[in-house]
Amino acid sequence: MSDQPTDTPFIRFRHVKKGYRIGGEAISIFDNLDLDIPRGDFVAVMGPSGSGKSTLLNMLAGVESPDAGEIAIGAARLDLMGESARSAWRAHNMGIVFQFYNLLPMLTAAENVELPLLLKPVSAKERRIRVGKVLDLVGLAGRERQYPGLMSGGQQQRVGIARAIAADPDLLLCDEPTGDLDRKSADDVLAMLRLLNRELGKTIVMVTHDPQAARHARRTLHLDKGRFTEEREAA
Amino acid sequence: MSSQFNQVLVMTRANLLSLPRRSAIAASMAFSVALVVCVLAGFLSMAAGFETALKSAGSPTVAVILGGGTNQETGSDVPAGVIRTIEAMRGDIGAARGSAGNLIVSREIVVPVEKTDDKTGQTKMLALRGMDPTGPALRDGITLTTGRFAGLGAREIVVGKQIAAAFPALAIGQSVRLGSVNWTVVGQFSSGGSAFESEIWGDLDAVRAAFDRQGEVQSLRLRLEGIDAIGTLRAALATISDTPLNVVTEADLYAAQSAGTANLIRLFGWPLALLMALGATAGALNTMMSSVSDRTVEIATVRALGFSRFSAFIATWVEAIALAVLGVFIGLMASWLMFNGWQASTVGANNASLSFQLTMNGHVMLTAGLLGLAIGVVGGALPAHSATRLPLTAALRARG
Ligand SMILES: Nc1ncnc2c1ncn2[C@@H]1O[C@H](COP(=O)(O)OP(=O)(O)OP(=O)(O)O)[C@@H](O)[C@H]1O
Ligand SMILES: [Mg+2]
Repeated sequence: MSDQPTDTPFIRFRHVKKGYRIGGEAISIFDNLDLDIPRGDFVAVMGPSGSGKSTLLNMLAGVESPDAGEIAIGAARLDLMGESARSAWRAHNMGIVFQFYNLLPMLTAAENVELPLLLKPVSAKERRIRVGKVLDLVGLAGRERQYPGLMSGGQQQRVGIARAIAADPDLLLCDEPTGDLDRKSADDVLAMLRLLNRELGKTIVMVTHDPQAARHARRTLHLDKGRFTEEREAA
Repeated sequence: MSSQFNQVLVMTRANLLSLPRRSAIAASMAFSVALVVCVLAGFLSMAAGFETALKSAGSPTVAVILGGGTNQETGSDVPAGVIRTIEAMRGDIGAARGSAGNLIVSREIVVPVEKTDDKTGQTKMLALRGMDPTGPALRDGITLTTGRFAGLGAREIVVGKQIAAAFPALAIGQSVRLGSVNWTVVGQFSSGGSAFESEIWGDLDAVRAAFDRQGEVQSLRLRLEGIDAIGTLRAALATISDTPLNVVTEADLYAAQSAGTANLIRLFGWPLALLMALGATAGALNTMMSSVSDRTVEIATVRALGFSRFSAFIATWVEAIALAVLGVFIGLMASWLMFNGWQASTVGANNASLSFQLTMNGHVMLTAGLLGLAIGVVGGALPAHSATRLPLTAALRARG
């Protein structure tokens, strides 16, 4: 896999429509959204609160469905899949990094990281090796048996990232991954994501409010009133 | 190991480990299950103890002949003429005979006597049974623990172990007034906890004289030749046309008595336990719904990672079942400590008090345990289902 973005669109949104009903009133978030993200890209999505950033990411993750339109990632048409098919697809092709880490507090760091590996036909020994590798990659070697509650926010988010990449997915989705972190921890986490993109060729879509965070991405998409405006960053 | 199994295992483990977060409501569920188990175990062990007391009293090779159209000793009357006819019968009538060819028979009568317990001051009705000297031998499992049986025609009594324990005034050597005369206690007997231990035995004629019941016989006991001989005896006695006789084995006589009372105990106990179980199930439902809502982000997170609905279901269900099992365990332990071997007494046959021990046997524990388990299985199913229906966006939109 190349560490440079290629021209083949990896993620494709075509004519995507999405709205919510609140009470009897229908509100439209996206009316006719198109989006192309090539493989190996690192995209930051910014925009005012309520503009639909999380909704976009949730549709990419396949946990929310569009009302109409096509969503394709690689060869997979998420909009045509059922719930369990999307779930299985997610397990093999995508890692999610959450704003609040979403670690299971009663499991150790290693056990949290192991979770996505349980979905694959991997032996216990291979799992242990893989967990050690990714924890090492995020700078948490030796903390396998520590519980998340005893870690700093930055460390917890690094466990979160290790979990997201444990099963070696091509795509990483991050919703405000640094939203709950101080500047220093945020920069560590962002450097990590950058490394994953540059060195391991992961395609990353990151929602953020923080312009400094967006600077780590290859490009930034601004979302407002259901439309994108793009600005390219010198990476 | 399959992936599905791994998912269930880790989810269940994480779930059970998170129980301390919900310790209060989890404990309340276990406690309400324990309460249901206790109540049912209490009633069932009472019924079981009562049955044991009566069932073990009856021998299948002793026939009891009753007259007057009744199937219990109270109200029964076997006329003297009938007894003479039976005793005169020759040939095989299904009953064992002595060396001289005579039938081994005990004529018996039971009179209720009132006795005040010296310790509690409670007055109880006791059964005083008058019998021929053959009487004790016509019962299985009777052991004379001290003294001797009453002498022929003597104003002497022997008391069953349960009565001896409850009434110090009936200790050996004591003189007691029953009916119009004073009696001397000459012995004590045991019968393995059966209903006989709640009786006082004396000589037939002495008892009849003291209670002005001369010539009366309520029942006739005969030793059968074997377990199947009751039919032969019935056929033989059917030829005596002047009185309808009821011929039953002693085992059947007591079983019929115990069935009524034991069923009554169960009839009272089951609805109460089921009603409580219904309440406990509602409580379990509530506990588990709050467990699911407590774990919403965790469940949605692993589901977003790709974990199956099945694993979310099982993990929640197992929690409910585990809490129910804990409740069952506590309930059975508590009822064992409280009830097993507990002495109880009730009014038995012949309107006399009957002592028995509550018995927590395997069947009682299994039944009460299964009801407790059912609370978890039923009460946990719906919350487990709702755990599979949580929107996955709960993970991504989670706020701290
Ligand atoms: N399940 C839902 N039901 C109804 N309305 C919803 C639902 N989810 C999101 N919305 C609405 O859709 C709009 C877009 O929400 P979304 O969370 O995507 O915004 P966002 O850009 O991520 O905002 P923020 O920066 O605050 O996270 C908001 O107005 C929100 O209230
Ligand atoms: Mg958002």
